[in-house]
Amino acid sequence: MPFVKAQKTNAYFKRFQVKFKRRREGKTDYRARNRLINQDKNKYNTPKYRLVARFTNKDIVAQIVHASISGDIVLAAAYAHELPRYGLEVGLTNYAAAYCVGLLLARRTLKQLEMDDEYQGNVEATGEDFTVEPGETRRPFRALLDVGLVKTTTGNRVFGVLKGALDGGIDIPHSEKRFAGFNKDSKQLDPEVHRKYIYGGHVAAYMRTLMEDEPEKYQSHFSEFIKRGFEPDNIEGMYKKVHAAIRANPEAKKSEKAPPKEHKRYNLKKLSYEERKAKLIDRLKALNSVAGADDSDEED
Amino acid sequence: MPAGHGVRSRTRDSFSRPFRKKGYIPLSTYLRTYKIGDYVDVKVNGAVHKGMPHKFYHGRTGRVWNVTKRAIGVEVNKQVGNRIIRKRIHVRVEHVQPSRCTEEFKLRKVKNDQLKAEAKAKGEVISTKRQPEGPKPGFMVEGATLETVTPIPYDVVNDLKGGY
Repeated sequence: MPFVKAQKTNAYFKRFQVKFKRRREGKTDYRARNRLINQDKNKYNTPKYRLVARFTNKDIVAQIVHASISGDIVLAAAYAHELPRYGLEVGLTNYAAAYCVGLLLARRTLKQLEMDDEYQGNVEATGEDFTVEPGETRRPFRALLDVGLVKTTTGNRVFGVLKGALDGGIDIPHSEKRFAGFNKDSKQLDPEVHRKYIYGGHVAAYMRTLMEDEPEKYQSHFSEFIKRGFEPDNIEGMYKKVHAAIRANPEAKKSEKAPPKEHKRYNLKKLSYEERKAKLIDRLKALNSVAGADDSDEED
Repeated sequence: MPAGHGVRSRTRDSFSRPFRKKGYIPLSTYLRTYKIGDYVDVKVNGAVHKGMPHKFYHGRTGRVWNVTKRAIGVEVNKQVGNRIIRKRIHVRVEHVQPSRCTEEFKLRKVKNDQLKAEAKAKGEVISTKRQPEGPKPGFMVEGATLETVTPIPYDVVNDLKGGY
């Protein structure tokens, strides 16, 4: 083998400083997290809640979280895979589903905090910018949007979650610049376009074009929609029903899965400090007894 | 050129971050809360330039007298000439750690309260005062053989044999 100068020597590894674990995993942006978590010191232990919106390939996760030294504490969570309970079984990661998840999370937290009668939010989703008004007895529940590592372009689905939570009755500081339907030139939000997105109008439009131009692709792409009888025309009605169902009963359902059974332990269990000390004492005693026997043998 | 006496002079090592701990500071420093009357240690974090105390206060412990949005007011003793002044400084939270100097006292307080409550329930009188460590208990030395050592009388003839 030809002589190659080793690039990563022992010295390199000795001096290497690893980044934080979640940064190495590429999951947390600490610069953003720092600014989201930092609470004014003269507010002492008041928690600063954030609305965490994360998208996976097949699911949407929305949580209300506040930070603590021993780890973040989740107040309430809503997932897109819960939406079948409210009548939505397909298209679980689109803008309309994101809106539903945000709405579900908002109603769930308000019900948990017993504020849901006071803060109904925007019952009829119109797409206009809606901000929660302070009620009589308590001030509205305030949270800050945490998008994670997504690029915040106009019309991103995280803002669908935001809009759902706003209409649900949570106070989140925001601007309408990034909602779907914001016109960059006129610098105004077109509520009609936004409303279209909230009710899946963009999906319906695509369905229509596919039906005309490429019926086979329409069959293959939207097969699940067709199976459940979702035509482009009744998509809006379907989402309206889902919103109503969410507002009626937003409570979380405990899953009936049995706790996972214990597995056989394949590696040695780490001993505690007392156990290790006891082991050492036993070893010394054994050594001493053997040494004592040897001495007496030699003397004899 | 003479040595300067600027605010951060002679802080090359004390303000530098420790080995392999540079860059982002862990978020628990921002999550801690401080109340007025707590004891805190002042330890400068060279990565944060705002709200740094003067190098004199690095390593001092003081009490919190004020809490603002991002900083804490700490009251530290400083000897100036022939007297000690209580100086009040404002320091950002990154340069402050909760002090453990009163930890033992607080634990003892809690334990003593518990002991006193128990004794009161039983009706006996106890003293919770700490006692200094006394002299160690006596013990018998075991397995010792006695060997008496005496000096031998000086023998001139034997010693001079060979030499001289």
